[in-house]
Amino acid sequence: MNWVEGSILLFGGLVAVMGLGLPVAFAFLVLNVIGAILFLGGEPGLAQLARNAVQSITSFSLTPIPFFVLMGEVLFHTGVALKAIDAFALLIRRVPGRLAVIAIVAGTVFSAISGSTIATTALLGSLMLPTMLARGYDPRMAMGPIMGIGGVDMLIPPSALTVLLGSLASISIAGLLIGGIVPGLILSLMYVGYIIARATMNPALAPDEPVTEEGPQGAARWLPFVTHVVPLVLIFGLVIGAMTGGFATPTEAAAIGAAGTIVAAALYRSLSFANLMKALTGTVAVSGTILFIIVGATTFSQVLSFSGVVNGLVELVTGLGLSVNALMIAMLLILLFLGCFVDQVSMMLITLPFFMPLVQRYDVDLIWFGVLFLICMQLGLLTPPFGLLLFTMKGVAPPSITMQQIYAASLPYIAMSILILVLIFLFPAIATWLPAVLSR
Amino acid sequence: MNRLSAAFGRLFNALAIAAALILLGMVVIVTADIVLRNTIGSGLVWANEVSEYSLYLMTLLTAPWLLRRGQHVRLDIILTLVPARAAWLMEAIGDLLGFVVCVVLIRYGFAMSYDSWRLSAITIKNLVFPEWWLLAPLPATFVLLAIEFVFRFDRLMRGERVRRVEATSVS
Repeated sequence: MNWVEGSILLFGGLVAVMGLGLPVAFAFLVLNVIGAILFLGGEPGLAQLARNAVQSITSFSLTPIPFFVLMGEVLFHTGVALKAIDAFALLIRRVPGRLAVIAIVAGTVFSAISGSTIATTALLGSLMLPTMLARGYDPRMAMGPIMGIGGVDMLIPPSALTVLLGSLASISIAGLLIGGIVPGLILSLMYVGYIIARATMNPALAPDEPVTEEGPQGAARWLPFVTHVVPLVLIFGLVIGAMTGGFATPTEAAAIGAAGTIVAAALYRSLSFANLMKALTGTVAVSGTILFIIVGATTFSQVLSFSGVVNGLVELVTGLGLSVNALMIAMLLILLFLGCFVDQVSMMLITLPFFMPLVQRYDVDLIWFGVLFLICMQLGLLTPPFGLLLFTMKGVAPPSITMQQIYAASLPYIAMSILILVLIFLFPAIATWLPAVLSR
Repeated sequence: MNRLSAAFGRLFNALAIAAALILLGMVVIVTADIVLRNTIGSGLVWANEVSEYSLYLMTLLTAPWLLRRGQHVRLDIILTLVPARAAWLMEAIGDLLGFVVCVVLIRYGFAMSYDSWRLSAITIKNLVFPEWWLLAPLPATFVLLAIEFVFRFDRLMRGERVRRVEATSVS
């Protein structure tokens, strides 16, 4: 079998089995069993498949994943996040599109302490969307920011998927996590700017609130911020500081973050046995789904390379004599396309076996490539028809909201994410500057 | 069948709770290691290794529970496009394939563990223990997953002839 037939068999087979609706972890296993029989020498290949499954996740580089997810779960299940939103509501006044701006600012802070995008979107959606709609906000103005900021959560550390990308692609996990900070903040700022501009041009989108909501002044206005937001930012600083200060690995920094979040919740007297167990089981569910895909898929890259598919495709692409930029654009377009249909973990597992040899051969900066990859995955969360956050929003929005309204609401935020993708492509320093400065 | 399925459901829940407690243990151990290392100068040298094994165990312990709850990520693009009856049939084929790969993994996972036991292979890092301790949980998990695929198939056969509604993404 030559590599063209091999790739048709492996990718065609994967698409077919995934199309049946078999969970992707098992779909990868089906293809790995077939691949082991055909390309890895039958019996020995199948034995290797079992061994690989064990080795795939006894890996220190993956241990930050459950810790990062736990940070967000604790924050949300203990109600600490609620108080943080209230604190922002006291500070942010007299801004056009005020509630939407609060959603972005609060969401940015949550991103800095939560490793799970869906939790951020579900939380903000269920808490803030009803208020915004009741105040007469246009549904697009109310839902768009929440979905947009949910996507930003993937860029701003801690982020479980960033750890996975670093581990699978052998890119510095600390570098990648830190590389996401500046693009994430720029996106948040763009979102705020967009909301203010839209609300100023067309006040009907976000009606002004009655003046009776002036609320407390002076210390009473700032105190909730100091007590309920500053500690969260400090935990974020602790995690990043531990990672870049050279006294902790990403795993250890993540564990400190998780422990810090639990301690903070306890100090707020918000921690109970029941909500801690909820957070823990929520975490093992999210990280279990991510990691079990790795168990199932781990041999796939080996099958691809033994079948000659990787070499064949890489030779084919290098033979085209593309420039680095053309190659990068092609890879990003493939990712954006896949993002419309495939989940984020599968995106990585399908593309990285090909992308990484090319990236290395063309000597592309790994952090730059990694951050662009992350933004493509973030866009995959938002792009119709199957973006995860669109459905998360549908799940928490009132029944009167249609899927079309949700698609429409996401469009400006998709456009801004594509803009940042282009900006980072043109100015790699947006992604690479901070990791370079901090690792000095 | 229903009572048996419910009994396994309780077992899966218990395993998930065990996974949650292992996670809490990981947080405590890794944090204790770094605090001790930076205060009294010597930490728990086995902490990293234990957290690697914990990650592995945690993932295996939750897998059957997640399958029961329909939380293992899957694509449902085609399922939503085809007629309900066809989607139902595809689900059934998917369950059969899932069962078959589980059996393959049981067969080779068991052989791997048995060989390791027969040869008295030992894992030597900071902790020293028989290697089959590490290998055996894999086939054991796939036994549970194979059983759940049977229950899953049974539920599909007895339910309405349409596609299931399950998770399509993580994070």
